[in-house]
Amino acid sequence: MQADEMIPRSHVSAMSSSSAMPSSSAVPMADSAPATRKVTGRLALWKVMPLACAIALLTCLASLLWGAGQVGPMQALKALMGQGSEEARFVVYELRAPRTLIGIVVGMMLACGGALMQVVARNPLAEPGLLGVSAGASFAVAVALLLGIEAAGMHVIVAQSGALLGCLFVMSTVRVRGARQDPVRLVLAGAALSSLLVALTSLVLLIDQRAADEIRFWVVGSLAGRSLSALYHCLPSLLLAVVLTLWLARPLAALVLGEQVASGLGHRPERVRQITILVVALLVGAATALAGPVAFVGLAVPYVARALCGADIRRTLWLCLPLGVTMLLTADVISRLVVPPSELPLGVLTTLLGAPVLIAVVRARRLPTL
Amino acid sequence: MPETKLYRSPTFCSAVSTPTSPLSIASAPAGTLWWRWGAVSLLVYRAPLLAACGLLAALLMSSLASLTLGSAGLDLLDALKAIFGIGEFMHVFVVQELRLPRLLAGMGTGAAFALAGCLMQTLAGNRLATPGIIGIDNGATAFAVASVVGLGASIAPPAMALSGAVVAMALAFGLSGGIGTRGYRFLVAGIGVGALFGAGTQLMLARVSIDVANNAYPWTVGSLNARDANSVIWLGIAMLIGLPLALWLGRGLNTLRFTDRVATGLGLPVARMRLMILWLSVVLTAAAVAVAGPVGMVALVGPEIARYLSRHKGVPLLASALAGALVMVLADLAGRTLLSPLEVPVGIVMAVVGSPYLLWILLRSPR
Repeated sequence: MQADEMIPRSHVSAMSSSSAMPSSSAVPMADSAPATRKVTGRLALWKVMPLACAIALLTCLASLLWGAGQVGPMQALKALMGQGSEEARFVVYELRAPRTLIGIVVGMMLACGGALMQVVARNPLAEPGLLGVSAGASFAVAVALLLGIEAAGMHVIVAQSGALLGCLFVMSTVRVRGARQDPVRLVLAGAALSSLLVALTSLVLLIDQRAADEIRFWVVGSLAGRSLSALYHCLPSLLLAVVLTLWLARPLAALVLGEQVASGLGHRPERVRQITILVVALLVGAATALAGPVAFVGLAVPYVARALCGADIRRTLWLCLPLGVTMLLTADVISRLVVPPSELPLGVLTTLLGAPVLIAVVRARRLPTL
Repeated sequence: MPETKLYRSPTFCSAVSTPTSPLSIASAPAGTLWWRWGAVSLLVYRAPLLAACGLLAALLMSSLASLTLGSAGLDLLDALKAIFGIGEFMHVFVVQELRLPRLLAGMGTGAAFALAGCLMQTLAGNRLATPGIIGIDNGATAFAVASVVGLGASIAPPAMALSGAVVAMALAFGLSGGIGTRGYRFLVAGIGVGALFGAGTQLMLARVSIDVANNAYPWTVGSLNARDANSVIWLGIAMLIGLPLALWLGRGLNTLRFTDRVATGLGLPVARMRLMILWLSVVLTAAAVAVAGPVGMVALVGPEIARYLSRHKGVPLLASALAGALVMVLADLAGRTLLSPLEVPVGIVMAVVGSPYLLWILLRSPR
């Protein structure tokens, strides 16, 4: 409401006094979407962030306390305090803690990867899992296993290159068709690409029984049975991605205002876009190597983050960190509790949580373009 | 929002009954065949007719190939004799018990998928709007799997598949607020619904023992391996009713391609027509899914081939059904023979062939 009153007033002042240079230059700023959004009562980051972090911490605690096995929450709590039985302490420290840690990292990576991809594609539906980026990563890993690449560290690099190829392909479809005006077409192209890659992956698994046994559980997306060493293999690329993201935040925020504004501000839009795609591939590839293809986290989390405190990528990314952890760990905890002795694939639960968000975005009367 | 147009030419009329005007056409227009029997006349475009004949011939050839090729090699002559129960016992067994039912199931499912796809595409005015993409396949699969793993206890898979398909359709259409009104949005809402049902299927498979899950597995990828005889019979019934009904609706479908106002002005009950087409498409899809699982790509590729061969004259329903059957039989044959000791499920073959095609449709330059 405030913005609606402010814009006409500045118009009036610009028209009434010819000497009002600053206010006349402020008019186009007030008209552009991010500036008005900032005024229209979105919450400030410092108000939301502590709450989001608290919720994320609570889900971490829940992930330590509840499990599919015999050790109940009370025993686990005792074990956390340093008491309790030997078994409970083993389960909590050796099984649940690494799993929670991996879940935290994967959730952050997927959420940030989604947020970055959405800015580059200027499309709120651009989600790495939906667009075939994770499918590219898992196909690359399946092929690598078929060719006999064993080293665990290689998987990360292979998955990242697969993710990069999938990313480049899907983004080139945006370029070819100029589909910016039609955000939904990109999703269709992504769905086609990802169904192709999933079919090829299952073909590879069919051909190579050994590879199939090795990655059968990985290919549906799960945090179960991942060791911390897999996490260490991801660390170098993760560090690189963090550095690049910190460097990218300002140019990306400028890019949202439009290509010409960005280059006017001294950024190089093409270069920024290429590096962002690289970062997305690094993040999503590493996350896929850790947990398998997990869809819809990169869609739902940035969507909620934008709804909470506006479309500025710098704030979205910060908020994506705790929210991504919350969503992934919530899905993981539920996946342990639904079928007690065994577990559900994580991807199933993130889909159940995230697909309604996709429908909600599409249902919105005016599709927001980022 | 730009929408892909289904057809290049807005030419209309494939069958004209009783020329009412006294100035009846003296000779058939170019590219058509025209018959008159007293007061009744029939005008048929030549291209769709030729396409249908060609597709039928190709279907027969590929059926023969499907009967002869396989792990147990047969002569063409042996195979033909074995159909009628003549020849060695082993040959007769292989053909009559194994290959012929599979072939028939493949033809039936392919035709049903493609016909449903063609109907849905025409209805939505969008060549990408196939039942598979808008999630109807996945809905039917989820419910059919539910009946197999024992959640829906003792309800036959075809009935469960039908209810699943109806629920998915209602969700996809309800959530996107009508058919074709919002272009691609409706498709993405369908993708969301499909993802939900896919996750539901996984959820149910994870809850049951590994044996039951293995039983239901072929359904989740789409395969002709785990056909249930009952479901095949239901598919046959659905096709026997559905194909003539679709052909009868075909003339109205041509009119439906105009705007609603024009179609109403030409005397078409648009709303009722839409509803009938929608139901027909859903029932056919459900019956096919109950037999073969979600092989939705056939519904995209079949009508596309038919449309190309018929030179985009009218809505090629018959040619679509034939092309779908042909594609399905060929895909199953390829899946059985190419990686020989292994059998690749037909759903995977179709996804590998069909997805690049879908991408190509999306990416090629607009006309």
